[in-house]
Amino acid sequence: MSRIQLEGLTRRFGSVTAVDDIWLDVADGEFLVLLGPSGCGKSTLLRMIAGLLPPTGGRVLLDDTDITHTPPRQRDLAMVFQSYALYPHLSVARNIGFPLRARRLPKATAQAKIADVAAVLDLTELLDRKPKELSGGQRQRVALGRALVRDPGAFLMDEPLSNLDAKLRSSTRAEISALHQRLAATVVYVTHDQVEAMTMATRIVLLDKGKLEQVGTPEQVYDEPASTFVAGFLGSPPMNLVPASLAPADGRTRARGTDIDLLLPFATELPARPVVLGVRPEHLVLTTPEDAGIRGVVRAVENLGSEEVAHCLVGDDRLCLRGPRPLGLRAGDPVHLRAAPEHLHLFDPDSGRRLAWQPTPVATSA
Amino acid sequence: MTATIEPTVHEDQVVDHPAAADEPVGHRGRGVVGHVVLAVLSLACLFPIYWLYATSLRAPEDVYSLSVLPWPLSLDNYADAFAKTDMVRMLVNTTVVAVLTALGQLLTGLLAAYAFAAWRFRFQKLLYLMFVGTWLVPFQVTMLPNYVLLSQLSLLNTLAGVIVPTLCSALGVLLLRQHLMGFPKELLEAARMDGRSSWGILWTVVVPTLRPVLAALGILLVITAWNEYFWPAMVLQRSNGMVQLGLRSFMGTEGNDWGPLMAAAGLTCLPIFLLYLVLQRHIVNAFVRSGLK
Repeated sequence: MSRIQLEGLTRRFGSVTAVDDIWLDVADGEFLVLLGPSGCGKSTLLRMIAGLLPPTGGRVLLDDTDITHTPPRQRDLAMVFQSYALYPHLSVARNIGFPLRARRLPKATAQAKIADVAAVLDLTELLDRKPKELSGGQRQRVALGRALVRDPGAFLMDEPLSNLDAKLRSSTRAEISALHQRLAATVVYVTHDQVEAMTMATRIVLLDKGKLEQVGTPEQVYDEPASTFVAGFLGSPPMNLVPASLAPADGRTRARGTDIDLLLPFATELPARPVVLGVRPEHLVLTTPEDAGIRGVVRAVENLGSEEVAHCLVGDDRLCLRGPRPLGLRAGDPVHLRAAPEHLHLFDPDSGRRLAWQPTPVATSA
Repeated sequence: MTATIEPTVHEDQVVDHPAAADEPVGHRGRGVVGHVVLAVLSLACLFPIYWLYATSLRAPEDVYSLSVLPWPLSLDNYADAFAKTDMVRMLVNTTVVAVLTALGQLLTGLLAAYAFAAWRFRFQKLLYLMFVGTWLVPFQVTMLPNYVLLSQLSLLNTLAGVIVPTLCSALGVLLLRQHLMGFPKELLEAARMDGRSSWGILWTVVVPTLRPVLAALGILLVITAWNEYFWPAMVLQRSNGMVQLGLRSFMGTEGNDWGPLMAAAGLTCLPIFLLYLVLQRHIVNAFVRSGLK
């Protein structure tokens, strides 16, 4: 398997910059997920790696070899498309064997490889069928098979699960993860689904408006979001973000806002300044009026089955609280909440970047 | 005492299915009128064809008879047509010209449409507009230059002379480009990733996937070439070159030889009717896809 390096990769469409100066190093055997909302440039980035779209600037390196201007067919990369892109006139076997025929592999060798891949993906019984005779999940496996059969340097996957129903998506997610572990393959995977990213990735790259927002393990991006964008994108519901101010008090520092007064984890008095206070819905807990750091009113309660989400109004801001069902709250109820200091996040209101204690709060870079 | 476990049924899960509402009378009335109009139009279209074959099957002395049924049936007019002209050779020549013209137009149309739809290059739009613009140039404008060129190339009075100037069809390019514009781009990209060149993608992915479209367009082009009269008449000065021209030999200043003329015309139409019968679905498809009526 191969290592992929992106050096200042940029793509402009007229005056619009779709991908802006991306530097990345995808290690051999890594499962890197490009995550972001629609239009953030993740698919454009993947297509540039694949060679389907020429970059406006920067370089793509595969195992230290510059492949920026190498045609896709000469790159040792296989791609799985969102629509699967199966050739409708060919059987499953011929679809899987298509890349091998292009390489003029001996027929016997090709057939053996197709049989191997079909066995791995449980497609042996379907080899004579045409794509239109397959279910969505089976088509997805054929598309995977066509990529696998080539033994490529790396796999590029462009939202391959987005056309599957929720149940099938969950099982296929597990299959792809298992396949990645078995093959120790390098995978660059594009998705806008944070669950896919969190469950499959060894590292997540968060993109927004073509710019790299944060790169890190799933735990890092969830637990220490580098910006309000990342904090607001990950999690369901996402992190609560409310305006507040730092206020020194009794040798400690507190975050204060409308109906908010929470103790921060810094064992020192920090100078007063405006901040954006972040706290995840699952880190808010109900408490007594005396202990409450946040006071508000419940506006609505959503039943998620095992859990409930209460939407509360605190001052003029909306906050979500998530906990096991039943929370014991109803719309209109007053609510008193607290959060442990270590679960509070601070962001710069202007740049949106995370504020870190070093030893004074400063804006961090991505 | 025994206990049983049964699936519970909630009352709100039981839904009464109302009986299907009767079709309103107005809808039925409109349907009947529509069918009557279509039947009259069909009759108006089919009657001349019926009359052609009916006349061709009458005895030579009954050719001017107005009876609806041709009785007694006679094949004398057909025998006369075969005796007076070389029908078999003319039919073969017409078939060769129609098929080769259609194949040529399909090939040039496919290559041009593929370039216009799948590639990006300078002045692409302008070139395409100019290409399609040739469709608007009347035949009469290009007729004489083509004729002079054929004369200089010594292709007058040959089947090649009929075929070569018509090998490129703007209609074919236009239709195929439209289809290729709707062709899934991911299929082309997948083939590129799978190691195919542009040429390879055309023949291993595009052509097999577009087979129904190519078949439909091919039929349309064959029919158009088969029905062509003016250009073959210019290039082939001999009247027995193609079947369309052969029909002229039954027409004279002293009157038309209606019996054999109808027989020859019936034979000329027969291949197209057979093509229609066998490939009815594809031909209708071709007209629908082309937007022509």
